Amino acid sequence: MDRPSGVADLVATLRGGGYLADRGLATAVFVALSLDRPLLLEGEPGVGKTEIAKVLAAVLGRRLIRLQCYEGIDTAQALYEWDHARQLLQVRALAEGGETSVKALFGPEFLLERPLLAAVRAGGRAVLLVDEIDRADDEFEAFLLELLSDFQITVPEVGTIAAASPPLVVLTSNRTRELHDALKRRCLYHWIDYPDVEREVEIVLLRQPGVDAALARTVVGAVHRLRELDLAKPPGVAETVDWARTLSFLGEPALTVDAADLTLGSVLKEREDLELARENLDEITSGA
Amino acid sequence: MSGGPVRVLVGFGRALRARGIAVGAGDVETFCAAMVPLDPTDLDDLYWAGRTTLVTRRDDLAVYDEVFRAYFLGEDTAGPPRPRPRTAVAAGVLEVPAVDPPPSAADPGDETRLGLVASDAEALRHRSFAACTPDELRALRRIMAQMRLTPPRRRTRRTQRATRGRVPDLRRTVRDSLRLHGEPVPLRRKRRRVKPRPLVLILDVSGSMADYSRALLQFAHSARHSARRVEVFCFGTRLTRITVALQRRSPDEALARAAALVVDWEGGTRIGASIEEFVRGRGRRGGCRGAVVVICSDGLDRGDPDTLATAMERLTRQCHRVVWMNPHRGDDPGYRPLTTGMMVAQPHVDLLLSGHDLSSLAELAVLLPELG
Repeated sequence: MDRPSGVADLVATLRGGGYLADRGLATAVFVALSLDRPLLLEGEPGVGKTEIAKVLAAVLGRRLIRLQCYEGIDTAQALYEWDHARQLLQVRALAEGGETSVKALFGPEFLLERPLLAAVRAGGRAVLLVDEIDRADDEFEAFLLELLSDFQITVPEVGTIAAASPPLVVLTSNRTRELHDALKRRCLYHWIDYPDVEREVEIVLLRQPGVDAALARTVVGAVHRLRELDLAKPPGVAETVDWARTLSFLGEPALTVDAADLTLGSVLKEREDLELARENLDEITSGA
Repeated sequence: MSGGPVRVLVGFGRALRARGIAVGAGDVETFCAAMVPLDPTDLDDLYWAGRTTLVTRRDDLAVYDEVFRAYFLGEDTAGPPRPRPRTAVAAGVLEVPAVDPPPSAADPGDETRLGLVASDAEALRHRSFAACTPDELRALRRIMAQMRLTPPRRRTRRTQRATRGRVPDLRRTVRDSLRLHGEPVPLRRKRRRVKPRPLVLILDVSGSMADYSRALLQFAHSARHSARRVEVFCFGTRLTRITVALQRRSPDEALARAAALVVDWEGGTRIGASIEEFVRGRGRRGGCRGAVVVICSDGLDRGDPDTLATAMERLTRQCHRVVWMNPHRGDDPGYRPLTTGMMVAQPHVDLLLSGHDLSSLAELAVLLPELG
């Protein structure tokens, strides 16, 4: 598939790839594709920010190029690096053979491609996922802004490499710090919320077809009640899927208080949260 | 798209701007461009395309929804006005002494005035903020503005070249060698870069701290401008982030803005709940990872001590160091915590200072770099 013809078409295509996007997210992606603009996704952990990029790459038949950001990431890890070991070997070989020129040593074959260079080279045939951009420092953010504005990279020894058509860029952030306004301006913005009960049931069933529909419904109901509690780490959609899968794997037909107590570790990963949930187990599973 | 529809979309952008959302001309252009492949008569398309192109932060979404309803659906959203006692009350309560404009060199009366300030400084160093007159507070403020806070530094993953050191920089060595066609060059070296840790100030502005909160807020303002990564929060019964408000250079303007944000000036105290709010919000998202957190409070908590204990324990796990400044501690070296809040919090505090006068704030400035 090259380019979706409309929002409804994109929703259907994403569903084919195993991702249930709501109208808002689909519109944001569709606009990003039509206008060639990067898309900045924010939302609670576990709502599928990274997943949408992966699925988009799959259904659009594009290559997924992922850049995981972390504190201290620099251009050598994001852009390109010279393959010094190969250059040295080449020097040796050429020295024995005779004529050698420095120019030949800095040819494209000695350039180690890192995600951003790879994305510029692949252009419209790629989906570039810049994951957790808020973890990188602001210098890197400024550098990224420059790259996102014209999709070209200048390697002094080689020249300027430009993308024929820009790749689809998806940035995700967990809001550990405020991103720079200039970067936000450059991007389309979408906040992904937790899905409503109906959609989340659908997601569970789509991801784990083996799970009984009734069980899925009770699990989703319980997770929604958990999110209303004052938890340090509210469970994401991935946790819902995990919980349903765990219960199904254990052969539990329904979400009883006992079953919930035993498997609570697949949804809540903090000791205080577990304690709080255990105090309210009756209420949480009451929908079951 | 042209003519009528564009005018409608531009008008929508203007309506958003009127409600305080920063919408640039470029954003409206993007919005119009986004509507081209979509259906401009479909409200869903309008809503979502506008939301993705015109809004850049989650906090603005509610306002966007409201403006959208009013603009496109003609719904009257005026309704009962939201209670905003903040500005009216706070402005009255917070009487920040104004700072005189910095004396210019041309002014003949300057020397004397400067001398006055300097001698004032000596006298004021050990006077408790609670005992200061507005004039003295004003003088203090000028001295505070000179104070530089240097948070401790930590090593980052990035490296920089060094003239000596144990770690060889192989990449640079080889690169330099290649410039000479593979001739060996002296070994280059590198070392890890260092970077200041973020600083988080959490100030108690409740009734029991009334004598100190103005001075501390002034201190926060100068801290905000002396170090690079500083976040400032206030609390009484609830937590308010005032970092952005303090960004203003002029202290008067900055403090007035901060005061307008805080709803609970000189009211009750819920330290536990406020720290917990911080830990759950900013802290959970990693906002204070590796940071030095400075809490200024007397520890008079009307909430449940358990809440404070849990919140403090969490806080110590999320950040690097916790400093507590308790003005009521005063100069007494044999101070024992008397309030429940203080007793509960103390085991989780790395450094306890007083913060009741200028010299104790200077003490913080001196001790801060050593908390690495």
